[in-house]
Amino acid sequence: MFLFRFIFSSILFVLITTTNAAAYIGLCCAHCGGNMPLNIMGGGIPETHEYRFKISEMFMTMDGLRDGTDEKSTGDLGPSTASGKFRGVPKTMESWMTMLGGAYSFTDNFAGMIMGGYVRNTMEMTTTAGDYDMFSQGLTDTKLMGKYRLYHDDNLAPTKQLSAVAGVAVPTGKITIKNTNHPTKTMRGKLLPFGMQPGSGTWDPIFGLTYQKAADPFWMGANFMTTQRWGTNDQDYKKGSEYTLDLYVMRQFNEKALASFQLNGKAWGDYSDQPKAGKENGDCHAMLNSTRDWMTPLCDPTNYGGVNLHATMGMQFQPVPLHVAELNLSIPLYQNLKGPQMQSDYMLRLTYYLEVPTKKSRRYKGFSAPKQLGF
Amino acid sequence: MKRILFFSRLFSSTAFFFLVANSALAHQESFKAMGVAPPRNEMPAPDFTLQTSNGNSVSLSDFKGKAVLLNFWATWCVPCKKELPSMQKLYEAIKHDGFEVVAISIDRDKKERIYQYIKNYNLTFPVLLDPSQKVRKDYFIMGLPTSYLVGADGKLKGFISGAREWDSAASKKMFSTLVQ
Repeated sequence: MFLFRFIFSSILFVLITTTNAAAYIGLCCAHCGGNMPLNIMGGGIPETHEYRFKISEMFMTMDGLRDGTDEKSTGDLGPSTASGKFRGVPKTMESWMTMLGGAYSFTDNFAGMIMGGYVRNTMEMTTTAGDYDMFSQGLTDTKLMGKYRLYHDDNLAPTKQLSAVAGVAVPTGKITIKNTNHPTKTMRGKLLPFGMQPGSGTWDPIFGLTYQKAADPFWMGANFMTTQRWGTNDQDYKKGSEYTLDLYVMRQFNEKALASFQLNGKAWGDYSDQPKAGKENGDCHAMLNSTRDWMTPLCDPTNYGGVNLHATMGMQFQPVPLHVAELNLSIPLYQNLKGPQMQSDYMLRLTYYLEVPTKKSRRYKGFSAPKQLGF
Repeated sequence: MKRILFFSRLFSSTAFFFLVANSALAHQESFKAMGVAPPRNEMPAPDFTLQTSNGNSVSLSDFKGKAVLLNFWATWCVPCKKELPSMQKLYEAIKHDGFEVVAISIDRDKKERIYQYIKNYNLTFPVLLDPSQKVRKDYFIMGLPTSYLVGADGKLKGFISGAREWDSAASKKMFSTLVQ
């Protein structure tokens, strides 16, 4: 919570201190053509010597279970004490995530970015002891990234650009959140399953490559990102590595509005092991005994990972210069999950994006007149 | 008699000096008021020949003897589109005074959209098309909108980065000093 407050306070500080510099002289852009949907991680960079701040609220819901490409009903898995069944089975899950991001462009080609979030997860469980809502909340991991433009065919209005992203996910998210409201008293205070923990617990390198193309009134591109999980955390496990590929096309149908369509592919691995607390204290095992079966499918580290493909429809608005808002709706097209695990239902995301020119920004002072023409 | 002639010449020279200095000062002030960067060395504006939206060829040299406001814009540039109507009003106000407005669209394609915009806003000054971006690059355009002031002698007199209210009193005053 401290980090979240720190990021929020820092953004406020920058906004206040740059107010005088936020004058907008009516200059279109310094390197136009870089528009991307705001939900794509690492997407979009501010103008040179400008900040941009992004705040998003995302609602995601998961409904039912899936093993491979087959849907599973709750009744197939439990709740039951019988062998091969689970004592607790998830039915639905809702997540609200508030994300804050800031970025600054040091040059025409290089920008630094920071992104963090706060998540609130509620999972509806049915158990042998009765139904209840499993709940967790906390900071997510914080991503620090740099984006470098490797190639562009024109500085003012490029039709093609290629950028590389490198960074690290800092383990600001917790991995030891405990169950607080299980109907059985002895289960309270025990470690929640992996999917309810907001962090990874490891410092994870991030790499990416972004290709952007502009063909007025269209923008299109591809964004590949991977978060590698190389080290193990304090609980002696590591989360699976993640790979995402986002393909997008945007069409400007009005000078203040754009419509976008995306295909978002994701592949991710399972967890390497159960948490230390599971091995030592039997957390997440039946009867709290580490030699017994898993309490729920969520506790099995191999019931994670898979491949999915989502379609995302979005609308982006720029009502006044320097302010952008975007609304996105994502629905799953294909899910092949190592399971049984919960399947995605839909995701709704609202983003507000603020550009803040500094006194060094071209949109504050304008462009310098060219020396080559006698100025 | 010699003394009268001497004082008469001294008075005339002083009056001329003050007139020129006053005119230069007014010129500088009007440029400053409009945020115009004056050149250190007045160089000839790079000549070009481009097609108008009607398909006619127009060269910058065609306007020699007139002061020209040379504006670079694009249909995807919102501030550009906002300032073009004020440019039209300025053009209508002072076009007969040895003044011309020439707008160059750097859109790579979408001619129809340019035509539509010209029609919607009744732009009567020449709007030239630079789809290859050659003229844009000759004028080192790094942001939009950007404008240049070209004197009647064909030399660059000023550089303007960003949108302006071209039909404002300050703008008209600046162009009146430029035409002089």
